[in-house]
Amino acid sequence: MIRHLFTLIWNRKRSNFLLMAEILLSFFVLFVVSVLLVNNYYNYRQPMGFTSDNVWEFNINPGQDTINRKETLRRLVQELKATPGVAAVTWTSNTPFSFSNNNTDEYRYKDKGAPQTEIFDTDDDMVKVLGLNVVAGRWYDSRDDASSRHTIVVNQRFADEMFGQESAVGKVLTNDKHDEEWQIVGVVEAFRSGSDFASNDPTIFIRRALQDTARMSNTEQATLLVRVQPGSAAVLEQQLVRKIKAVTKGWDANVNTLAENRKDKLKFVMTPLIALGLVGLFLIINVALGLFGVLWYNINQRKAEIGLRRALGATGNAISRQFLGEMLVVTTLGVAGGLLLAVQFPLLGVFGLATPVYFMAMLLATVLVFTLTAICALQPSRIAAAIQPAVSLREE
Amino acid sequence: MENMLTQTAARPLPTGAPLTATSQPVIHLRDIEKVYQTKTIETVALNRVNLTINKGEFVSIMGPSGCGKSTLLSIIGLLDEPTSGVIELDGRPVQSYSDKELAYLRNQKIGFVFQSYHLINDLSVLDNVELPLLYRAGVGGKERRERAYAALDKVGLSARTNHFPSQLSGGQRQRVAIARALAGRPEIILADEPTGNLDSVMGEEIMDLLLGLNQQEGTTIVMVTHDEQQAHKTQRLIRFFDGSQVS
Repeated sequence: MIRHLFTLIWNRKRSNFLLMAEILLSFFVLFVVSVLLVNNYYNYRQPMGFTSDNVWEFNINPGQDTINRKETLRRLVQELKATPGVAAVTWTSNTPFSFSNNNTDEYRYKDKGAPQTEIFDTDDDMVKVLGLNVVAGRWYDSRDDASSRHTIVVNQRFADEMFGQESAVGKVLTNDKHDEEWQIVGVVEAFRSGSDFASNDPTIFIRRALQDTARMSNTEQATLLVRVQPGSAAVLEQQLVRKIKAVTKGWDANVNTLAENRKDKLKFVMTPLIALGLVGLFLIINVALGLFGVLWYNINQRKAEIGLRRALGATGNAISRQFLGEMLVVTTLGVAGGLLLAVQFPLLGVFGLATPVYFMAMLLATVLVFTLTAICALQPSRIAAAIQPAVSLREE
Repeated sequence: MENMLTQTAARPLPTGAPLTATSQPVIHLRDIEKVYQTKTIETVALNRVNLTINKGEFVSIMGPSGCGKSTLLSIIGLLDEPTSGVIELDGRPVQSYSDKELAYLRNQKIGFVFQSYHLINDLSVLDNVELPLLYRAGVGGKERRERAYAALDKVGLSARTNHFPSQLSGGQRQRVAIARALAGRPEIILADEPTGNLDSVMGEEIMDLLLGLNQQEGTTIVMVTHDEQQAHKTQRLIRFFDGSQVS
């Protein structure tokens, strides 16, 4: 029967070619949709690299007050650190789940340029506040006060892309003009700061101390992240706000929790994802309807053949199996063509996503196409096989 | 039963025909009715048909178009279900048979020859002839080939095995259809106007083939035909009119 199936498919190569082309295109559409969905899921499953629970974000705006701004901030940080219930305080140029970002590709190592890299200017306590997981070297601290270079910590993704298998710790980066240098002292596991679905983009944390006049202007606004003891409530929040008012003498300050920011950002990124999911669903339905129509037409064209086969001793199930078998062979050929195209994506680095994402998407698209074709072939062939053979034979 | 036997009484055998027919009934129809029903019209295709066909008989069925001949053949061949009545094959009623059992009977016992050949155009002559054996358990690829070649040899088409139906004449196509029926070595061949689409010479050829099968192999043949001359070559002629058996 298998030889018979292949003979039939080969002898009908012209009409099967069109069906194969339809399946190949369907596979490709499903593959692209799957890449986008799988990529988001893949990112979601990756470690965030930090913990956002019990971290509060204070945005402090000095307004027109430009006198002693750095001094006031230094005192404020010290006061906050000394408050009971506060575990750690850090001063940072940007925070996780922020709607803005700062990135550059100015860094170079020898002749190699860095990828587009997220930049965070932070102080020594960032590691404590966000619970960053240092996997090589160390986080920067007062030992780096005397360093003639900027001290930085990178994430593993940056290290992998810049140095491959080599250790990143101790490496010195420079810029195009070679007028500044950055020394890597440590590597953190990951830092997915965008959202739960964001990728672990290459990231650099640059040490910035309040006394660092080179990197701290007098007009800068301050963002503080404060890790509080678990269970700290509104009382502590009011206490901290009062302290800020007292130290800064009237600067504006507002407070959010990182958990709230995470939820807000999630809502923001979920909207296009839901839209994408709906578009994906719409495409899948379209593909299913297209395939169903083509297969329904094909099988209807072959009603007399079905009647003949029934007359010669085929059971209804044998007819269904035959059509299903034919479709699976044609689908396999169409999918094989689609896979040949799809495999070019990771090879050529299209979209720049992780390789497992492409392979998962290929698997998903393959399963979807096979399921769709099986359903679309089985139903019409079952209906056709259920007709009395005499009726099918009259269809010719 | 007596009435039925009277109605279908055998005519004398044509000259030269061997006595292959026996009195052992192989097909027995009792009070068969077939009614096609639409929302507005009810058409009686067969009206209380009683018929017995004995093993080795060559029976022809004649009647004007639309009188129910092909419907009767479809019902005998288990391709269609009667609205009422009983069909017995080898003394066993088949109404209660499952789809699988009916398929088995069609495959093992019955061979079909259709007016419009019903060959699959995308399969070669050889593959077409092999078809009934594909659905027969225990027949391997080699045996299938051998039996298909033998059947094609019998109908004089062994030189056309790799041709496709579209490359053959009408008579050749019908011979392929007969070879397909023969490959399964059925006890019964049901032929629905097998010469209807052929010229007289080709028609004679096919008729001779069927007569040879009946006389040499003892195959029971039921043939629907419009050709009086051919009908008279068979052992028994049954006439139909408006769904009823009239002689």
